[in-house]
Amino acid sequence: MDPIATVKDGFNQVAKRQKHYHSISQAVTDRAFEGFVESLVQILTKNDPKTVLTELKLKLDSLLPINHLQESQKETNTSLTKFEKVLGKSDVFPASISIDLDHQLVDKMLVEYLYRQGLFEVGELLIKEAEVEVDDQLSEVIARSLEIHRVTEPLKEKDTEPAMRWISENSEKLKEEASKLELELVSLKYWEILRQRKRPEALRFARAYFPKFASLHSVKIRKLIVALLWVRDLENYPHAEELFPLGWEEASRELTKLYYNLHDQPSSSLLAVALSAGVESLPRLLKLIRVMGLKEEEWGEMKELPVDLELGDEFRFHSVFVCPVSREQSDVYNPPMMMPCRHVLCKETILRLCLCCSTRRFKCPYCPAYTTASACRQLYI
Amino acid sequence: MEIDPVTNGNTDTVMAEPAPAIAPSRPVPSSRSSQLTESIKLEHQLLRVPFEHYKKTIRANHRSLEKEVSSVVSSVGDLADNDWSKDVAVSRLTSLVSRLQGLKRKLEEGSNVENLQAQRCRARIDHLDSADVENITEWNNTKLKRILVDYMLRMSYFETASKLSESSNISDLVDIDIFREAKKVIDALKRREVASALAWCADNKTRLKKSKSKLEFQLRLQEFIELVRADSYKQAILYARKHLTPWGATHMNELQHVLATLAFKSTTECPKYKALFEPQQWDVLVHQFKQEFCKLYGMTMEPLLNIYLQAGLTALKTPYSFEEGCTKEDPLSQESFRKLALPLPYSKQEHSKLVCYISKELMDTENPPQVLPNGYVYSTKALKEMADKNKGEIKCPRTGFVCNHTDLVKAYIS
Repeated sequence: MDPIATVKDGFNQVAKRQKHYHSISQAVTDRAFEGFVESLVQILTKNDPKTVLTELKLKLDSLLPINHLQESQKETNTSLTKFEKVLGKSDVFPASISIDLDHQLVDKMLVEYLYRQGLFEVGELLIKEAEVEVDDQLSEVIARSLEIHRVTEPLKEKDTEPAMRWISENSEKLKEEASKLELELVSLKYWEILRQRKRPEALRFARAYFPKFASLHSVKIRKLIVALLWVRDLENYPHAEELFPLGWEEASRELTKLYYNLHDQPSSSLLAVALSAGVESLPRLLKLIRVMGLKEEEWGEMKELPVDLELGDEFRFHSVFVCPVSREQSDVYNPPMMMPCRHVLCKETILRLCLCCSTRRFKCPYCPAYTTASACRQLYI
Repeated sequence: MEIDPVTNGNTDTVMAEPAPAIAPSRPVPSSRSSQLTESIKLEHQLLRVPFEHYKKTIRANHRSLEKEVSSVVSSVGDLADNDWSKDVAVSRLTSLVSRLQGLKRKLEEGSNVENLQAQRCRARIDHLDSADVENITEWNNTKLKRILVDYMLRMSYFETASKLSESSNISDLVDIDIFREAKKVIDALKRREVASALAWCADNKTRLKKSKSKLEFQLRLQEFIELVRADSYKQAILYARKHLTPWGATHMNELQHVLATLAFKSTTECPKYKALFEPQQWDVLVHQFKQEFCKLYGMTMEPLLNIYLQAGLTALKTPYSFEEGCTKEDPLSQESFRKLALPLPYSKQEHSKLVCYISKELMDTENPPQVLPNGYVYSTKALKEMADKNKGEIKCPRTGFVCNHTDLVKAYIS
């Protein structure tokens, strides 16, 4: 059963009951008001307050039915308690080690994140409020983020000038990825000019920028030129989407990545990467702690986690070979070895299979081939 | 089975369409459901805070209506039982009528406040619901910003937090006000004033009572000790009579212990009672307040950022991250992250995942690993590209070893 639906239901119940309560209380108040006014009129017209008032007192139960109100209140309360149960208890987070994270380090990482995201004002505020020490490393990060922002911000307005300038300034260092990106930017800008139906300008633009791509990307250039004939009907130009594999936003992101790679910096904020890894792996980690019955600090005392947290591939930065037989990670002392049948096992497994005798024949666990330890080659991943 | 060559093209296109439609739809429901269950558990804080406010308003409105109604009823009864002159009766009845009018107004106002709060709750539930396969990157981005705002609020960087939540449009999803409220109380406690803390306790009395909290008792004890410290014994005793006796039933031992300080001077050397006069007691109070506060709103004691960061660091921690040539993309290549990750466990890998040194891409079944004669492994795609550019010649980028594209051997790594 969809858990969000349960939460929504529970909440709707509460809201419904409360609405019911309000309508009752409004009706009751209105009725009582009318009744009182009536009695007031009666007293003013007749002369005997006592009888009118006694009458009023008798009528009171029907005018102000306290029972109804109380019942409705009770119903609302029950639904409130039920909803609280649906929300569950708040003790899901034992995954904190008691050691405080050095908040100065974290603050610096935070400043870096903010500047990379282009949130310069927030970054400045943080430096002030958290009294972050802006050392050389941090000021370099700030300078870099400002520089790349000057190039990518105009792209939001579809102004490719700064970007093109930057690419040409750094062309020898950038090589191939840059030229693909350059082509993309040029095509996007050209398309934009065409969309504004400025045919002569488009032609001028094409003459200025397309020639250098003509040899390698002739097909694409041809398609772009032919689009001149479709100026009045650009949306229906066949295969238009193929001309722009990236689009403005993606191109801007690629440009940023390129920039940081050039300056030997990580292509995105490391704090963001670590936190995203955390968001992905926390559920499994919590389950592990729960299943192992560990307390708060105990999980940090392990040397190695007993279970794979199964991070996505985007967090895979290093090659890891895990022997399929022993399930051990290979390292310098236990490298992967390839057998003549092309299957790969770690060295220790192979030694175990051949009983440490390098001329003894053993069968590959995966195929019918026999081989010896000396016939295996070490692999370097 | 013969395939009609004429219709072959058609069958291809017919086959191509259903296949992609079927494949993603089956795994999505189960992963979305489990993701949502986890979501709700982990996002308890998000939903709990506005709900607590909503609940409090509802209950307060219930109580005030009950009070008003019963007082009106008793007034009417009082009116009817006695003999009043016409004028007095009229004036009294008129005042009751205007009271009813006031009640109606209050009900409406209360209802409006409740609706706003209910809207807030709903907005957050909807936000959790909106996590979809298509917008998952954006949703995760928002989550990241929420985690950062939570950290800033806990560190009391209020301006930065408000600016960040404004520029990212997440003002509905963060609770800046309650943190400000908490800071006021904590600051007062640090200045050795219990007034705002006591006000907070009174405000949340029912909830604290339910969780059997000793906070109010401890605050009162501290005030008592301060009176004793200032040598105003008479006032201290009066204070104790007024405020401490109700707690005597449940916490007699502690009460007796503290009351005994009356017999000692604040500069006493006796260790048992010296401890009570220590200024650190105030820090203990601050800590206790934080605990009660977090428990009330279903929040974690530590910032969410700490929790997620530690989980992330341990998931990313591999022995390779500490080597010299570690790629800059790995957070653990940087000194500050290494420092933070030092006490954490290494992650475990259960399956081989090979990353090509040349293209930095994953080597899987679509891009299998190939082995050079010198034992070095690279991805098929990268090697093919290299061979195409150099007329079939392959040069190992790490050793300089040269061979031909035909000398390569495919490896089977599961």
